[in-house]
Amino acid sequence: MNTLNKNKLIDSIARYIFMAMTIISSSFTIILFAFLFVKGIKPFLPNYEYGMINFFEFLFGMVYRQDKGIYGIGFIIINTIITGFLSLIISLPISVLTSLFIVKIVPKKFGVMMRYVVDILSGVPSVVYGVFASGLITLMVKNIGYFFGIPTAGGNSMLSVIILLAIMIFPTITSMSITAITAVDKNLEMASLALGATKTQTNFKVVLLAAKSGIFSGAILGLGRAYGEATAVSMVAGNKLYGPTFNLFDITRTLTSTMLSGLKETSGVDYDIRFSIGLILLIVIFGSNIILNVAKRRIGK
Amino acid sequence: MKLALSVKDLNLYYGNKQALKNIEMDIYSNKVTAFIGPSGCGKSTFLRCLNRMNDLIDNCRVNGNVFLDDVNVYSGKMDVVNLRSRVGMVFQKPNPFPMSIYENVAYGPKCQGVKDKKILDKIVEESLKNAALWDDIKDRLNDDALGLSGGQQQRLCIARAIAMEPEVILMDEPTSALDPISTKKIEDLIDKLKEKYTIIIVTHSMQQAKRISDYTAFFLMGEVIEFDTTSNIFQNPKDKRTEDYITGRFG
Repeated sequence: MNTLNKNKLIDSIARYIFMAMTIISSSFTIILFAFLFVKGIKPFLPNYEYGMINFFEFLFGMVYRQDKGIYGIGFIIINTIITGFLSLIISLPISVLTSLFIVKIVPKKFGVMMRYVVDILSGVPSVVYGVFASGLITLMVKNIGYFFGIPTAGGNSMLSVIILLAIMIFPTITSMSITAITAVDKNLEMASLALGATKTQTNFKVVLLAAKSGIFSGAILGLGRAYGEATAVSMVAGNKLYGPTFNLFDITRTLTSTMLSGLKETSGVDYDIRFSIGLILLIVIFGSNIILNVAKRRIGK
Repeated sequence: MKLALSVKDLNLYYGNKQALKNIEMDIYSNKVTAFIGPSGCGKSTFLRCLNRMNDLIDNCRVNGNVFLDDVNVYSGKMDVVNLRSRVGMVFQKPNPFPMSIYENVAYGPKCQGVKDKKILDKIVEESLKNAALWDDIKDRLNDDALGLSGGQQQRLCIARAIAMEPEVILMDEPTSALDPISTKKIEDLIDKLKEKYTIIIVTHSMQQAKRISDYTAFFLMGEVIEFDTTSNIFQNPKDKRTEDYITGRFG
């Protein structure tokens, strides 16, 4: 009887501890949103101490000159979406094919080694990717531009950002895809092979379809990382003052690089507006997730 | 009677361990042949030899011959993709693809390069009718196959196998995951299917073998102890071990 009561007590204590942890972690999210919202909305309110900013000029403006007090991020939003999606378009097929190769084709031992390599890549800090990009990718882009007779700002360009982001999100998508493909029910593959399908047909028509959900989760995480990457992007973007940028060799500007550059040396509107940009960035990420989720449901139907 | 498959001196090894020993068996066309025996006796392993699904298992080695229309399945002349389109398979657990019902049935023909929508429509309809599933689902061909009940999923898997117009259909305990009513439907279906196809079924249930099969093979420790008509096996078995097994003394 005594042990029974003791166990009951432990059970209820454990339940409260779990609940407390859940409340703490979910309140972080709420606090973050609330804080960002309160701070971010301030510059657009009439009683703003540095003079109210028109929200529509902020959202749709195509010039960003903090020195002149012009804060239009419309073109920055477009640039961010373009660079994010293009890097995803480059990275997704490479990642998916790599994971298929690692899980289904390569001998097991080699596959395990490849997984380590991918995991190491996903642990490389972004600033390291940044110096790599500013040292090598920009140089490469500069030479490509030179070859076609297109001037670049020393290689700082949208193309450099896209290549950099594609490389950075590759390990994220790949390791998610590897997990998803490994988890595909072997019976499905058997069924496909028993129907006279070749291994390649089985991999593309059945395995990828069955792993679809996990692969899209990887794509969503990857796109989130691409949108959210500030440090490395700032090192090669070039911070253009107007836009949007559609020329791959022209410099660009993303929401994150705008938030980051000079954050610690500024105050007033230029400081506060970064919270508003952060809020917009979150909205862009949510919107993109919705688009990817719709795409997921459409594919393979 | 016409032979569908003829197995000569087949041995199978997992690494160094021999799992099948000197199997000899003739399987007749348009009959149902059942494999019975205790767990681990090699009956499923042997079934998978017939469409070379064991090729997919690491360190599994097969010696011997399986003749399908006088062509050795294990010779270089036989393309494994071609073999599997002639010898279809239904698995223990219903395993429809995560696609629509239509796409599940059309999968095999599509992989063989059939693209014409009209032909595919016809194959899908015929196969579903032959698998006694058409009336249940004809209005929702584009629904997700995973929404079907277990018994319907298994009949869909049979339809998917039939769509390839195989000569032989291998069934690996196809009703062991199903309820009695679904099992009955599958058994009735098997009875109907043998008009067109040769059926080989591994079953965990002696009663099922008795109900549906024409021939029965009793497996024990990787060997075929006795292979005869089902009535002989169950009414006057020649081997003492067969008798012990079917009367429930072991297994």
